[in-house]
Amino acid sequence: MPPSSVPAPVLLQVEGLAKRYGDQRALSDISFAVHAGEVLGLIGPNGAGKTTLMEAIAGVLAADAGHVLWRGTPLPLPRRREFLFYLPDGVRPWEDQYVARVTELFATIYGRPDSVVAETIRALGLASVLRKRIAELSKGYGRRLLLALALLTPHPLVLMDEPFDGFDLRQTRDVMGVLREVAASGRTLVLAIHQLGDAARVCDRFVLLAEGRIRGAGTLAGLRAQTGSPAAGLEDIFLALT
Amino acid sequence: MRSPDTAVAHRAPIRQLLAKELWDIASGRALWIMLLILCPLVGYSFFQAVSLYKEASAAAVDSPVLGSGLAPLDGVLVPTFGGLYLVATLLFPFVAIRTLGREKESGALALLVQLPYRVLTLVAAKMAAIFGAWVAAVICAASALPLWLALGGHLYLPETLDLVFGHVLYGVLIGAIALFSASISESAATAAIITLAFTIGSWALDFALAGQTGVFGWISQLSLTQTLRPFEQGLLPAGLLLGILAAIGGFAALAAVWLHPGVPLGTKCVRSLVCLAIAAAAMGVSTQVRRTVDLAEDRHNSFPAADQRALAELREPLIITVHLAPEDPRYVDLRRNVLAKLERAMPRVAVRLATSGQSMVGSTSEEAYGEVEYSYGGRSDKSRSTSHREILPLVYALAGRPIPEPIPGQDYPGYPLLADGSPALAWFLGALPLLIVAAWWWSRRPPQIPTQLVKSGGDI
Repeated sequence: MPPSSVPAPVLLQVEGLAKRYGDQRALSDISFAVHAGEVLGLIGPNGAGKTTLMEAIAGVLAADAGHVLWRGTPLPLPRRREFLFYLPDGVRPWEDQYVARVTELFATIYGRPDSVVAETIRALGLASVLRKRIAELSKGYGRRLLLALALLTPHPLVLMDEPFDGFDLRQTRDVMGVLREVAASGRTLVLAIHQLGDAARVCDRFVLLAEGRIRGAGTLAGLRAQTGSPAAGLEDIFLALT
Repeated sequence: MRSPDTAVAHRAPIRQLLAKELWDIASGRALWIMLLILCPLVGYSFFQAVSLYKEASAAAVDSPVLGSGLAPLDGVLVPTFGGLYLVATLLFPFVAIRTLGREKESGALALLVQLPYRVLTLVAAKMAAIFGAWVAAVICAASALPLWLALGGHLYLPETLDLVFGHVLYGVLIGAIALFSASISESAATAAIITLAFTIGSWALDFALAGQTGVFGWISQLSLTQTLRPFEQGLLPAGLLLGILAAIGGFAALAAVWLHPGVPLGTKCVRSLVCLAIAAAAMGVSTQVRRTVDLAEDRHNSFPAADQRALAELREPLIITVHLAPEDPRYVDLRRNVLAKLERAMPRVAVRLATSGQSMVGSTSEEAYGEVEYSYGGRSDKSRSTSHREILPLVYALAGRPIPEPIPGQDYPGYPLLADGSPALAWFLGALPLLIVAAWWWSRRPPQIPTQLVKSGGDI
């Protein structure tokens, strides 16, 4: 988020979100805000509830309790897809189809101009696999395709679950650059990341999640102040708060 | 820079969604394998039917009486389309399930439900793809029709179209059940088990409950195979047609209810009950629609034309009390030869069995067993006949009407044919499979990609 004396308005507000799977509590009283134009990181180890939280926010999973508000107005489940787009982790959609056909599908459905499609494909390096079937893609290219689909949507807020999974160090940094550009263009990103180093590099603010509860939220500086560790890294802060 | 709080436009082009569903179903192997299996099934059925028809025709060539019993619908078309029925029952569920099952298993469903379409639109597009796939199968089977004509066979268009229409409806009904099964199942395998429980369960109903009355009789009417029978007889029953459409709509609506993973379970259950209530009401209404059109050229579902006209003018209710067990062959004959035809010909006919079940034999009504009582306009009479030639005069007498004069020139001539069906094997076992493989190969071609996209290179 560009430095400014005036804080960006709250775009999305999550209030008291809860979800249980049988006896297991996946999310418990989750509340936080997402500001316009920022890159917010949902940070936590595997099993912390990041995916459940994203799915509940996006409305592809029924929450047991809680609300999602858009600029202070409750956002009912059927209307979530008008404002949010959720990119799930570990999916390989429409495997029998060609990469070009699926990207064209998203571009056409959302009325994206050819220039945006070309730029997205260029930015994510998909040109060489457009004629390949999705089933033939490596894990990294599969992830790039998913990112491309998310970036081809026009939604003001995009939730991405583990967007760097499957990338090597260089590719991760390149994708971070792409996502920063997207955020700079005015879109808001919420990224679920379990690699704290990656999160520290790309996110403006963080929501620390463990065992379905929020253990801390804020900028790196704010979290340092909260833990009383002015020189601590995100890993140290996370360990201190959980 | 776009405004950060602008909602995405709700409506999106339906054409893209339809195209996506069609290329999704065509890009899998299931459809093509089903079509390839269909070829020998239909081909051999056709060959066998033509051979048997030829044997029957050999005796009938010199005898017009024997020849009048040779109808292409019964002799060739229904057996040929029997292969299509098998495919619809046993294989098509796997093709239909694929339209949703793969998306659930791969996680694509989470993307699909976020696209700017209503859930009903998503389901409608999937049903359209299922319909398209089934039409492809029907076209393959229907290629036997021009072959039959080429062999010198006769086709009567109304009854032929009626038969094809019945198979289209049956396939789409199976497809709707499969889609519903996929919507409530986590895996395609589970969905297949549920769908086959419907289809193969229908066979069990046919075998176990055929001819039963009461609750068992009502349950036996739920058999899916019963939906096809009237069309195979050359009938177009409006009530059954409405019932099938209601069932298709009901299953599709249930699929829409269960499709979205974000809707709470309780909400899904309530909506399902609403869907079931509406579908049940629609099917209940359909049972009251008794209009049936006999499209068979030989009119074997109807009395002679003069009788049909005379019976249609009898406006008072005809009450028929049958003292026969439903499993008695005489009742089966009476039902087929007289009662069913009377129900179609007269506006108000009520048939009731005096007692039901096998307990009737040897009961106190032993003397009356076998009698059928006809009551019309306050008068009644009894008969033990199962032939319309004896029963219709009885009905006319009760109504005080004269027996109508037969209309000349109404006799069905029959169409005996001494033809060799071997050339059909070359089509169904050679040319048609090759065409299907070619279409499969064509469907797998890469899409055209704009040059600027290929040349756009990449940053990563």
